[in-house]
Amino acid sequence: MTAPPVIPRAAGRALIAVVVVLAALPALELSTYSHNLLTRTYLLVAGALAWNWMGGFVGQVSFGHAAMFGVGGFVAGRLALALALPAPVCWLVGALVAGAFALGAHPLLRLRGPYFSIATIGVGEFSRLVFTYWEKFTGGATGLSLPIDAVQKHQLYWWTLGVAAAVALASLVIRRSSFGLKLLAIKADADAAADVGISATLYQDLIFALSGAVVGLCGAMNASFYSFIEPADMFGFERSIGFVLMAVIGGVGTPLGPALGAAVFVVVQTFLLASYPELHLGLYGILLIAIILFEPLGLTGLGQRLARYARRHVRRTTGAKEPG
Amino acid sequence: MSRFVDLVVSAVLLAGLYATMAYGLGLIYGVLRVVNLAHGGVIMMGAYLGWLCYERLGIDPYLAIPLVAIASFLFGVAMYRGLVRRLPRGPAGGPASLLLLFGVWLVLRNIAYLAFTGNDQAIRTAYSSRSLAMLGSHVSLTRLVVLVIGLVIAALLHLLLARTMLGRAIRAVAQNADSCTLVGIDVEQIYTLTFGIGTALAGVAGVLLATVFSFNPSSGSSELLKSFVVVVLGGLGSVYGTGLAALVVATAEVFAVLILPSYLTTAVGFLLLVLVLVLRPGGLFGRRALT
Repeated sequence: MTAPPVIPRAAGRALIAVVVVLAALPALELSTYSHNLLTRTYLLVAGALAWNWMGGFVGQVSFGHAAMFGVGGFVAGRLALALALPAPVCWLVGALVAGAFALGAHPLLRLRGPYFSIATIGVGEFSRLVFTYWEKFTGGATGLSLPIDAVQKHQLYWWTLGVAAAVALASLVIRRSSFGLKLLAIKADADAAADVGISATLYQDLIFALSGAVVGLCGAMNASFYSFIEPADMFGFERSIGFVLMAVIGGVGTPLGPALGAAVFVVVQTFLLASYPELHLGLYGILLIAIILFEPLGLTGLGQRLARYARRHVRRTTGAKEPG
Repeated sequence: MSRFVDLVVSAVLLAGLYATMAYGLGLIYGVLRVVNLAHGGVIMMGAYLGWLCYERLGIDPYLAIPLVAIASFLFGVAMYRGLVRRLPRGPAGGPASLLLLFGVWLVLRNIAYLAFTGNDQAIRTAYSSRSLAMLGSHVSLTRLVVLVIGLVIAALLHLLLARTMLGRAIRAVAQNADSCTLVGIDVEQIYTLTFGIGTALAGVAGVLLATVFSFNPSSGSSELLKSFVVVVLGGLGSVYGTGLAALVVATAEVFAVLILPSYLTTAVGFLLLVLVLVLRPGGLFGRRALT
């Protein structure tokens, strides 16, 4: 008997097909507007999927992921300004520093459930304060302007798409690997997991650092994309809420749901909220409440429910025909 | 020396407010095992209700406390009946209830933005700037009143939990909800009342806050953090423990002015939280029972 493939074939094929189509899309002479919109979406897809490794796979809901996003962005930005290194090198260093920053949260990872979540609110706010007042590094309230030309910005499309695809692939692999099973065991019962030799602290450190590094990479690419960053936005509470919301919309804990959630999030933000900016917090809140109450697995859960319904419907109609 | 006395006095005055903020959060967590993430939002709304009563109806903010308490109680009951009750209990419901109540908080913030704009507000009464000379330092009258009201609320809460049938039922449900159904306690009703009382306490804390500090719709996150620190520090549900813990937090915050740059003093609550959660997750005084 052969071991099942790490990635389910259908999901792998679908992922490849989607990425190929998206990579070829700019050949259709997309407008700059849609080109940039898609680039932004890929960034958020990667961020939401990485948030889900912590919030979904381990069940530790973080309201402070903006801290890693900001650290990645500002480290990469400073590096680009000071040493004029090629952008991908800056992004990579930003991601690594953000991952290390996440590891600094090690003492918090002993905390579970609400304790962890409230502590992350604290980490987020603390980072925002410290980095806003650390003017030498972040430029304070005036922010940082980064050099980037139009060609680089255009190329970001494929870079971000590549990152999003890699993170999606990683999500599938982690979910099906023994590492992912250990994370699930920790989510279900950390004490019982410890009894069978799974160290909750070790694996949570690992996944939190990975998640932080990816979110830091997104922050770094986001800095290049906008060519201007300020701490109030990069470290803002709204960024952290955004990651939570994208994952919840798509389906917390499902391997690829958050990618869908990120796409919906961008659509809602650009097409609905642009006209009603004063309603966005409330709309996010109502979305959260409605999804948690009626479909805790978000769009993924909704899809599964529809599929089940369709299958039952088909069975019933074919079953009715047979006797006649 | 007189500076030292000043700092001690302001720490004690602040402690009353912090204890009042924390009771609601602790009570709800102690009985339902749900962290009310909307707590900060309710405090913010309580502040605005007190402000409305004073500005529009001309009611003294301290006399408006019963009104705000009733309004917040009803809101809490609605929140429990309409939302929280529908979630699964136990560890499975943990992330769900957090996200749900976080959603409620976002909605409250948005309502406050729409109704009152994002500007800072404060309740300025005729006596807001009066102060009394005590122990060689000047004590602001409003802060003293806030402390006294905080003590009264603590005493009432203690009496409610220790001496009444309702309080006994609440403590029993906190210990073991399943056995309570055996002796004929309507557990759902106790949950509803507890959520209402906890929310009412948050609303009252908001009014007290509004009479000494300014506030805006995004206020609440640092109040939530501080309340949480106090609850964790004080151990669950103990009225005395909460009071002592509030004193510790207030003292740390007031004395941090001496060593930290001013913008970081708001982060002291957070530093304390991490220290406490990591070093003494069972609380400083170690008791977990509700008294």
